[in-house]
Amino acid sequence: MHTLDNGLRVAVEPQPWNPGLSFTILVPVGATSDPEERLGAASMLETWLWKGAGPRGARAFADALDALGVRRQSGAGVEYTTFSASLLPEGFPAALELYADLLMRPHLPDDAFDSVRALALQELAALEDQPPRKLLGRLRREAFASPHGQPVEGERETLERMTPDALREEYRRRYGAGGSILAVSGGVDPEEVFRIAEKHLGAWSGEAPAPPAVRLTVPHRFHIEQETEQVQIGLFYKDVPPGHYDYYASRLAVAVLSGGMSSRLFTEVREKRGLVYAVSASPGSVKGFGYLTAYAGTMPERAQATLEVMEKEIERLAQGVSREELDRAKVGVRADLVLSGESSRARAGALARDLFILERARSLEEVEAEVMDVTLERINAFLAGRPYRDPWIGSLGTVEVGA
Amino acid sequence: MSGLTFREATMPNGLRVIAEINPEAKSTALGYFVRTGSRDELAGEEGVSHFLEHMVFKGTERRSAWDVNREFDEMGAKYNAFTNEELTVFYGAVLPEFAPRLLDLLSDLMRPALREDEFETERKVILEEIALYRDRPHFVLYERAQEAYFRRHPLAKPVLGTTESIEAMTRAQMAAYHARRYVPNNMTLAFAGNLDWDEMLALAERMTRGWSQGPAPRNHPGFTPEPRRLRTPYDKASQAYAVVMAPGHAAAAEERYAARVLADVLGDPDNGRLFWRLVDPGLAETAMAYHHEFEELGVYLVYVQGDPAHEEEVSERIREELVRLEKGGVDSEELERAKLKTATSLVFAGETSLSRLFYLGLGYSYTGRYEALDTVRRWVMHLEPYHLGELLEARPFSRALEYWLVPADHG
Repeated sequence: MHTLDNGLRVAVEPQPWNPGLSFTILVPVGATSDPEERLGAASMLETWLWKGAGPRGARAFADALDALGVRRQSGAGVEYTTFSASLLPEGFPAALELYADLLMRPHLPDDAFDSVRALALQELAALEDQPPRKLLGRLRREAFASPHGQPVEGERETLERMTPDALREEYRRRYGAGGSILAVSGGVDPEEVFRIAEKHLGAWSGEAPAPPAVRLTVPHRFHIEQETEQVQIGLFYKDVPPGHYDYYASRLAVAVLSGGMSSRLFTEVREKRGLVYAVSASPGSVKGFGYLTAYAGTMPERAQATLEVMEKEIERLAQGVSREELDRAKVGVRADLVLSGESSRARAGALARDLFILERARSLEEVEAEVMDVTLERINAFLAGRPYRDPWIGSLGTVEVGA
Repeated sequence: MSGLTFREATMPNGLRVIAEINPEAKSTALGYFVRTGSRDELAGEEGVSHFLEHMVFKGTERRSAWDVNREFDEMGAKYNAFTNEELTVFYGAVLPEFAPRLLDLLSDLMRPALREDEFETERKVILEEIALYRDRPHFVLYERAQEAYFRRHPLAKPVLGTTESIEAMTRAQMAAYHARRYVPNNMTLAFAGNLDWDEMLALAERMTRGWSQGPAPRNHPGFTPEPRRLRTPYDKASQAYAVVMAPGHAAAAEERYAARVLADVLGDPDNGRLFWRLVDPGLAETAMAYHHEFEELGVYLVYVQGDPAHEEEVSERIREELVRLEKGGVDSEELERAKLKTATSLVFAGETSLSRLFYLGLGYSYTGRYEALDTVRRWVMHLEPYHLGELLEARPFSRALEYWLVPADHG
């Protein structure tokens, strides 16, 4: 880990056996930093950046990355935008130079603006055809009173009102080295990566605005009426944030709840009762705050029963977990860690996220040691002292649950 | 990845066992690849392959459903299964120390108890799964387009079956299907990663020696694509969705590498020809193409999704691009870019044991041969524009089906 003079943080995890390399550039530009009247700006900007940068137009830019064999993904999210690339190590300097153009010298051309907006509007409209995503986005919106609830895809009105000048202003205000992260994993030498990063990104200036503080609403219920086959059910619970003493105890508790197919939710909701095809709980976090969401999709006549079993199982955690459950959860987490360590993409992404959320990168060994350190007494004391209850509850479909 | 070795053996009962061994890998992946799927279902059995895939996890003579779930989790196994038209695959990845135990468990599962009470509970889960996919227009589109393209050919059948076929399914039907299809000579057991071949082979032999052989035939009726354009309104779609399906090349055909690269030139999601004609100008949100291989034939698939207002324009531009490709072929620069991207993907496909298992098991199930990722890379890197040109001489896109699923108020 190394911080350049301009504030860009660079983390490297060498995988000497790996013939490939992956990197992730994380820029703290997301829905949380979209001004209220410009919701969707981060997402539109990400699309617009690809419309030409440095000496190249959009097509020449894509061709140059292809000529290096770069497999790429990028997108804006709640708190940040990521640009990820996988390629062979010898292409890394040239690829990073291209990404430096993208971040520091984008053309943001007027003539591409309308198509960028058209894409954003289509993405927003397509949410109607993805009921689980629509519900979970709305659940976040209902739970957070702070900008953490703002929709990544924006709103019809804000997208329609957006202008090229407004979006360029957002670029200047929010894209910068300070607060951004470059994480690299694969067959590379860290010193070499630092040198290349300095060469191409050392002159990047600017500083991202500080993230907003988290504020929540009072837990409540909501329903979205929509003609779907299945009712979508979502629950949102407060949890401890990453970096908290009990963080790993909470992760293991979620694993007991929804880790494998012997986990409580899967066993009680699907295996014993056949209420659903999909039921799950997963940990989530934004900087400084952790939460737990649970999800299920089921036909209207079984929706109420499904919600009741889910709520009951989640509350029952307060009574503690058994030694066998904890052991299975630990083995599962350990296997996840080892398997994720095989993939350069997974590691680069995790390093970047760690640096953003925790301000430091964790090695797989460190995480494993922390997980193994959680005893039965400790996890049960945590669950008794900080029970998961009083959730925000949302449904989408033809019947409202829990009303 | 120089330290890879390939091993293969055939059991007396016909079960093929293969392994790509990498002593440096941190994990072991293994799986059973059963050559059976929706195309092998008889009338009245629609959806049984997939329903059976679920029932496999619901217990055996030695294990209850709970035992099965618990044992997988005690190993921290990353495991699952999938069913398609031609294959049903059960797989898992574990730390190497658990590989023998995972093999024992997966092997036992291949002879499921199919208990009546579990059958009834799981029927409800399958019906939920069918309902789930009805809320996803792109899935509905694929299912309907496939039915329209293949018509009376067995590949036309929906993998999940229908609500009616699942409601009417009996345990006896499933048991008969299992006895007919899960015969060892119709299955491949594959390993990838860090493992002791002799130990695994001996254990596999002990676990599977009681399995008896059977014929497990598969029909390969002739098929001639019928070019046409179809359009259906769907009340759960707010966007327009379309696929174009055109005749391609079979899973064991030498042409498959060229066909995959040809599809990339046309429809790579970041930089394919369709991206620049449709997504860059904002006419569609997504446009991509790929080549899908079945046993005796293959299909080029184009997929687009976007604003229903642009349907006509999008449809016209797709047809223009298909004609341009058929008439003009591929230039060497775009071919080089597509080749390099494929080559990089193959390097990353080799990162994890589980990903290697899929390449190994799927490839072997179709070709009966081992094909290292490096070999595939060499095939791809040697492609020239004329290889792709030869495929285009058959004018595949002139025989295409174009299928649109549009919002009900655009019908």
